[in-house]
Amino acid sequence: MSPLRQWLQQLREYEDIAEIGEIARRYFAMNAFDGVLTMIGVLIGNYSAGVESARVVISTGLATAMAIGVSGFWGAYFTESAERKRDLDVLESYTLTDLNETKIGRASRAAAIVVSLVDGFAPFLAALVVLLPFFLTSLWGEIYHSYYLSLAVALGALFALGAFLGAISRENIALTGLKMIGAGLLAMVLGYLLRLFE
Amino acid sequence: MGKIRRLVLDVLKPHQPTIIEWARQLSDLEGIDAVNVNVYEIDQKVENVKVTVQGRDISYDGILEVIQENGGSLHSIDEVVGGALIIDESITLQDHLRTGG
Repeated sequence: MSPLRQWLQQLREYEDIAEIGEIARRYFAMNAFDGVLTMIGVLIGNYSAGVESARVVISTGLATAMAIGVSGFWGAYFTESAERKRDLDVLESYTLTDLNETKIGRASRAAAIVVSLVDGFAPFLAALVVLLPFFLTSLWGEIYHSYYLSLAVALGALFALGAFLGAISRENIALTGLKMIGAGLLAMVLGYLLRLFE
Repeated sequence: MGKIRRLVLDVLKPHQPTIIEWARQLSDLEGIDAVNVNVYEIDQKVENVKVTVQGRDISYDGILEVIQENGGSLHSIDEVVGGALIIDESITLQDHLRTGG
């Protein structure tokens, strides 16, 4: 068996033991949502401040995306490790054996890593997708087109996330998608209203 | 050296990996022809299983390794059969007296 196939099989085995898939899916949706909304905040802030340089928007956007990624990874790793260690301790109190070096212990550690990677990459990638139009500003030359396009991409990403969650819960995907868009629109309106206090 | 042909073990194990995975791993061991894993008691976090393995030349150490690797703990060895043939225990007078049969 090739090393990659062996690794995938092991990961599948760990997934059965530590139920990684479900929690990773939850983290993915929750944090991709965070990534998009944070980026909406960055865009509205830049737009309100009248920033007309795509480079500035990209720099602030990328730095923010990076920070959410690190925050997601770090937070999830320590939370997940602590929770999983506690579960393992409880299980050990039943089996009266040290489970650290067993398949269960390894699955538990793998779960913390996989889940935190998902938690870090989901908001980072979601934020990057929203920023994408600014990388292409030179194509249309007008930065405000990039702003509008980015906000449209953000709403599209929110709809896709809502539809994804709707598909999981077997609800009407159009409705769950629209509910997510509602959060994006609210963030836009609130961000824009800040101009009133300037 | 004499060969072990059948082993019956009492094991406490977490719910995961499941007994399907246990049976699969045990039957992958060298010298084993048949495996039976039977749950007889379930708790909130663990379950008690009776593991029966039969084969041409069973490695006790190999079985112990699978049990420990999967988080199980061996409670007792309840039956061992060795030699060229597999024999069951003989019914004696005491057994009849005990069961009233």
